[in-house]
Amino acid sequence: MSFLKPIKLLLPALIPSWNFFDVIAPSPRIQFSLLNSASESVQQWQEFRPRPARLSFLQMLKRMLWNPKWNESLFMVSCAERIMGDATQQLIQHSENEILKRIENELLHTEATFDTTATHLQFRLIFVKRQGTELYEEITFHSRIQPLAIDKTS
Amino acid sequence: MSFEIAIRLTEILMGFAFIQQSIEHLTVFTNERRLFLTRLILSLLLIIGFQTAWILLLLLLIALAILHRFQGPYNGGADRMSLLILSCLTLVHFAPSLRWQEMAFGYLAIQLILSYFISGWVKATKPEWRNGRALRDVFQFSAYPVSEHLRQWSQSPRLLLSMSWGVILFELLFPFSLISSTSLTIALIITASFHFSNACLFGLNRFFWIWFTAYPSILWFQQRMFISFS
Repeated sequence: MSFLKPIKLLLPALIPSWNFFDVIAPSPRIQFSLLNSASESVQQWQEFRPRPARLSFLQMLKRMLWNPKWNESLFMVSCAERIMGDATQQLIQHSENEILKRIENELLHTEATFDTTATHLQFRLIFVKRQGTELYEEITFHSRIQPLAIDKTS
Repeated sequence: MSFEIAIRLTEILMGFAFIQQSIEHLTVFTNERRLFLTRLILSLLLIIGFQTAWILLLLLLIALAILHRFQGPYNGGADRMSLLILSCLTLVHFAPSLRWQEMAFGYLAIQLILSYFISGWVKATKPEWRNGRALRDVFQFSAYPVSEHLRQWSQSPRLLLSMSWGVILFELLFPFSLISSTSLTIALIITASFHFSNACLFGLNRFFWIWFTAYPSILWFQQRMFISFS
């Protein structure tokens, strides 16, 4: 009954819980690596879309109306949380696909970070969490190694 | 604020909020672009008041398609509030009588009150919020601060403790602002400033616009309650 699924997804909006930020959960970071073949092991991971050192008030004001990359990053955080949460295999697959697709799209539009010899892409998830007074990072997930669909000759 | 004006104002504000959200999706993938371009056109028709009831119904169908596309909300609470407002407005237009229309719109106002009160209550029950640790964690390692510079705020525990209690107390006291239209207006200016700060610090711009969209419902609700009890 797949047509019922959107209705099921609508219910939390009609009867909301409103428990924003009730618990500060472990926070995901997405890192990716470009590979030259499906069998190559990763040498170096890069943080996906690192945040800027500073933002001026004017830039913040501009983002009130135009903030697509940040909102996409927040969606990718949700996908990462779904992968590590109590999600179904289908939802985990969807989240993994979404993250891979959006990293690849970003690479296509950011030539500086794009290794022109690379043919494959992989990402991993690192969760940052507090234990006592210290912060810890834990690698929790490696994606499949996916062939890049980018046409590098164009 | 009259019922008719509050409804129309909510429709117009929601139309603009949906356009802002939709434009952000037009530069990405084709299947996303189709959905959000349709939503953008429907939102324009909503703003000009063309066949409002049917446009709202179509927007609701598009919203279900978007939920299906992303297997849930794209932008968490902002999308949920968008869906709530859209559902309540659609119900208003298809309700059989004024009484049912007022109930649908009143439900939106009550949910707006609860969005602050429950949020404050949940924080008040957590020791990490009461001692400022939670807000420190938000700045120190959560995914939300929009720049590395903002992470330095986690080094100001006194400031964050004051901010935590400021947010908790204001959210808990928000329902009491309904006692007069003046107190409600002041409270809404404060909440709008709160959402504006969240948009600047954490990039939650969509929250600002969509919560602002729900304000006419509570302005009408406050006056409706006052008339009922006087």
